[in-house]
Amino acid sequence: MIPLSLPAISDAERPFVARLRSLAAIDRGEHDALLIDEDEVGGSYAAADGLFAIDGVPVAQLDGDVVLVQPRSGRVERLLRAGSRHNTLLVTERCDQLCVMCSQPPKKTHVDRFDYFEQACLLAEPESLIGISGGEPTLYKERLLSMVERVLTDRPDVQFHILTNAQHFDDDDIHRLRQPLYRRVSWGIPLYASNASLHDEIVGKRGACLRLFESFAILLASAARVELRTVLLKSNANELPALAQFIFGKLRFIEVWSLMQLENTGFAKGRWRDLRYNHRSSFEPIAQALDLMNLNGVAAQLFNFPRCSVPPPYRQLAVASISDWKRKYAPACATCREQELCTGFFEWHPSNEAEAEVTPI
Amino acid sequence: MRPKHFIIPSLVAAGFGSHDPAQAAFVRATTSAIDDLPPTGLLRLFKFDHAVTLANHSSHSSHASHSSGYSGGGHYSHTSHRSSTGGYDGYTPEPVYVPVPSPAPSPTSPPPPTRVQPLIPQIDRASPPPTALPSLSGRSARFAAIVRRVQIALLARNLYQGAIDGVVGPHVRGALRQFQKSKGLNVTGTITPQTLDALMVNSD
Repeated sequence: MIPLSLPAISDAERPFVARLRSLAAIDRGEHDALLIDEDEVGGSYAAADGLFAIDGVPVAQLDGDVVLVQPRSGRVERLLRAGSRHNTLLVTERCDQLCVMCSQPPKKTHVDRFDYFEQACLLAEPESLIGISGGEPTLYKERLLSMVERVLTDRPDVQFHILTNAQHFDDDDIHRLRQPLYRRVSWGIPLYASNASLHDEIVGKRGACLRLFESFAILLASAARVELRTVLLKSNANELPALAQFIFGKLRFIEVWSLMQLENTGFAKGRWRDLRYNHRSSFEPIAQALDLMNLNGVAAQLFNFPRCSVPPPYRQLAVASISDWKRKYAPACATCREQELCTGFFEWHPSNEAEAEVTPI
Repeated sequence: MRPKHFIIPSLVAAGFGSHDPAQAAFVRATTSAIDDLPPTGLLRLFKFDHAVTLANHSSHSSHASHSSGYSGGGHYSHTSHRSSTGGYDGYTPEPVYVPVPSPAPSPTSPPPPTRVQPLIPQIDRASPPPTALPSLSGRSARFAAIVRRVQIALLARNLYQGAIDGVVGPHVRGALRQFQKSKGLNVTGTITPQTLDALMVNSD
């Protein structure tokens, strides 16, 4: 795994955001931290807010990273890793849904770090796509949207992808979300079934599905860009064709439908046997849903499906979705011709399962 | 002119020329070849530290190129799963370093009277470093080294009178603020690039 948090020591009294500059940068800005010393385990940097020394990653791999230095906890958090396409800011750990397979179980407390995130986004590499996740980010909708708007105004090259359960959009948002700035924002929204009670059961909240449909109307009126996300579970696998029908019938405005295989972490870890649908043994409902999407011109893609586990006609839909820092491949994958295109496995995917599942292409 | 030239005369002026035998022993122990040394506590301690560092290091090389999502010919480019991101920082347990106790110094009892004079005079061997000496990992050592340089530079300017201990305490902060103010720099009380430049402290 690529470490996202590193041990560090700093003389600053408060947390601060800085961009690490390992090479002598001529055009250094006020938030650039200059490398002043290094050894094989890390480097020391001087920034406008103070001095800090990091361990755990050679400085060459840190160059350009935007970090949050936290003197009190003695950590440096790599908020935006240079060169990574998978940078995601976790804006809260609170959530108002409790999904059976949640990979990031919610916590009650919220730490507002929007100001740090805003500074970080302003320091992002050119043409960055920055993910925003939680918890539920729109629990702090005003903070979230004002941060996004300020960053998009200052940085015309930056885009956001925001994961949300869409339980908090209302009519007053339409005017705001219609602004041209929001063409550079896409929303990743989960819909687990077209059957409202099944969706509610999966997200652990009564009425969630109806509220979601209200939000879809608002997002449609706002011309918002929406990626619909469905996690594959034993409980909804056979409902996928019905869901596909619902999507192409009622939610045609979406940009893409992503069907996601389960991640073995959080709640799903303890409920793996009950929740995990083995698509290798029966791909049929998935194939039907994908065919319906294809026939009706709705883009679809498969997340977290190793390519060799997908029947050849659908293989091109299986994209490399797993973030670089938590992706692994089974030993047998070394000989596979499609490894570069393949999502691989989550770092925490049971190794014995991963090995058993791999048939190199 | 290299920064050293500023620091060293000021060091001598400040009476830092004389050196502490324990420190000399420490330097010798840490710089001599491994073959010359019995496996002392100090050496074991560094080895252990290294193992911890390697454990932190287990990062896979990142595959830079990803096919952009939605291969169906569209412009959709969000391929990331973006689910569990590991939570807020500060809660992640980090490997806790447990210092290896170095052997206690043997009580220096007077040698028993002997009739035969040894061929080689018995030299008092440097006592092992006191057990209270903090074990420095890479970042702490690097951090303290820079702070010490800053402390020396502040001392040479009569802004600081405390110990050259590599620790940023209230006196160092006060001295930094005073220095920053006098030079018209941002007053932070921390070690900034501007401050390092103005103090002519350089790591090279």
